[in-house]
Amino acid sequence: MSMSSVKSPYTVPPPCNHLASYKLKNGLAGYTSLQEYLRIAPNGKPAISKPDSKAPGCSSCNGSHQRLYLCLSCNWISCIDHTLSHTRSSLGHEIAVDIERAELYCGTCRDQVYDPDFDRAVMCKYIREMMPRGRNGFEGISIISERSSKRRRLVPGLDSDFSVSKQLICSGDQRAKSCYPLGLRGLNNLGNTCFMNSVLQVLLNAPPLRNYFLNNKHNQDACRKASADRFCLLCDIDVIFSAVFSGDRSPFSPAQFLYSWWQHAANLASYEQQDAHEFFISLLDGIHEKEGKAKDLNKDGRDCQCIAHRVFSGLLRSDVTCMACGFTSTTYDPCMDISLHMDTNSSLSADSPNKANKSSGNNMGSSSSTLIGCLDLFTRPEKLGSDQKLHCQNCQEKQHSLKQLSIRRLPLVLCLHIKRFEHSLVRKASRKIDWYLQFPFSLDMGPYLSSSIVRKRFGNRIFPFEGDESEISSEFEIFAVVTHSGMLESGHYITFVRLRNMWYKCDDSWVTEVDEKTVRASQCYMVFYVQKMLYYKANEELSCIPISSQRDAFLPVVGCC
Amino acid sequence: MRGSVNRPPTPEAEDGRQDQHLSLQEIINIKLVESGEKERLKELLRERLIECGWRDEMKELCRSFVRKKGKNNVTVEDLINVITPKGRASVPDSVKAELLQHIRSFLGSAAL
Repeated sequence: MSMSSVKSPYTVPPPCNHLASYKLKNGLAGYTSLQEYLRIAPNGKPAISKPDSKAPGCSSCNGSHQRLYLCLSCNWISCIDHTLSHTRSSLGHEIAVDIERAELYCGTCRDQVYDPDFDRAVMCKYIREMMPRGRNGFEGISIISERSSKRRRLVPGLDSDFSVSKQLICSGDQRAKSCYPLGLRGLNNLGNTCFMNSVLQVLLNAPPLRNYFLNNKHNQDACRKASADRFCLLCDIDVIFSAVFSGDRSPFSPAQFLYSWWQHAANLASYEQQDAHEFFISLLDGIHEKEGKAKDLNKDGRDCQCIAHRVFSGLLRSDVTCMACGFTSTTYDPCMDISLHMDTNSSLSADSPNKANKSSGNNMGSSSSTLIGCLDLFTRPEKLGSDQKLHCQNCQEKQHSLKQLSIRRLPLVLCLHIKRFEHSLVRKASRKIDWYLQFPFSLDMGPYLSSSIVRKRFGNRIFPFEGDESEISSEFEIFAVVTHSGMLESGHYITFVRLRNMWYKCDDSWVTEVDEKTVRASQCYMVFYVQKMLYYKANEELSCIPISSQRDAFLPVVGCC
Repeated sequence: MRGSVNRPPTPEAEDGRQDQHLSLQEIINIKLVESGEKERLKELLRERLIECGWRDEMKELCRSFVRKKGKNNVTVEDLINVITPKGRASVPDSVKAELLQHIRSFLGSAAL
């Protein structure tokens, strides 16, 4: 089981007296003999069924509209009413199994009960059944519960203390204290470059990136010597960091950076408006390319250590389940962000009360006008159409399949991209979806992890799943939102950043303090979250910047204060 | 299934079942199960009820019930009893219609 310091996703409830005495009397014999009748239903869940395909019904009343239970002592199948009377009349026949779900029930307690041994028997059968034909997504699962917990340490350098080594950084005079925190500076629009400015403001305020650049982890001199290539996006970003943290509040023009990026993304080099998300991905790609070459990384599948990957890279898991036999094939793909669809399905009838959107996305009236709703949709099993039948290794033919996505590994900084721009090839038209989307400031990604999603598939089980022992927290805090206003062709991007729980609006050259309400009411396009621990650490660091009197850093200028 | 010394004597109901005149509903149910159609319909129903938010509403009803009673004072049976009437009443008509349509076409193709 998990180490005491790790938060376990489940606790083992103590058995009721009846389960305990059943175990004393029968041990595991009842469970093992039950394995013969365990099968995998088309939805992938374990169930119990008799060898003949006769419709299961209550042996006493033939009813089949209620849940049916199989008595573990005498194999009698009964509906709930007759299960209860059976328990009363036959001594020792308290424990039964819900045949549709393969879950334990106690007739005297009249409630579901849990036994890790039972769940292990169910899961063993499942694994044994599926394992010979493939891993079935159970890599690393050992039936014996001994498992080394793989500690994923935070990458060194990204979480190091904010040791301010650069001499340029100073806090200036008294006026500065009443002004904005360090790291806020307007960026001039160089010709429809708000898409670039908005993303740059995010990077300037992403705690791991701020630490990286302000700790001089990308040394421009060393970089220039090491590579003959004149253009280095990281050097240019380093220049921007220095400029923004210099204390000079006059709007800065990131011209050198823009020029560098044009070299990398030649097809996008123009003064036309670009898509901020596309730019973001292109920028990360550019950073990876350059650093990948410089560090001569081996290509044997090891995780890339370029700064872009270290900060933004996560791992997505995709499970495709055959609907005929339940066999599941799993693949993993790295991702730098998650693009979410907004649901077009309508919710229930109008007479259902529309409760106010609190933190839960489980709200009927507006199932997908929340970010949580979009995440639910993202991880919901999707039935693939008849034209997308996939070859099942087990059945050896093409079958209807179910596909489900989940997150195997979360990044340090999570970028959630809302798909607001629809491009229809059929209609040869594009449109923007303007719906409001509510998003939380604190986000727990736990329910979307592969361990949670996979665990849910097997019913209510006391069983350790791969990934359960992860020590990485799934709790995130928001630190930036890129919003888009206006129409598809002629819109405008602005970024809201959060520093020490205060919100600031970065609109090209203008940086102003804003209310939390303004941020919540905005139309989000890309929402950026950082692991909670890093967020709070960064906040602490912001409050203890050493004061230096090297120059009068604060100039009253347009755009700030 | 394995024999067991604890097994009570076979009651008459089992034998009686074969002789009983089965209602149309029971016959349809047996046909649906034996052909596997019932399971497919259940999956379709599950999908539709998730899509329209019905399952989330039931979850919320359960949660508020557990909050009210205290989590150690609630059994699965209590929950089933509480949400069944509300659940049945709030299934959207479109979902009912779709399933009926499937059953009708199944009956049309199955030899009864």
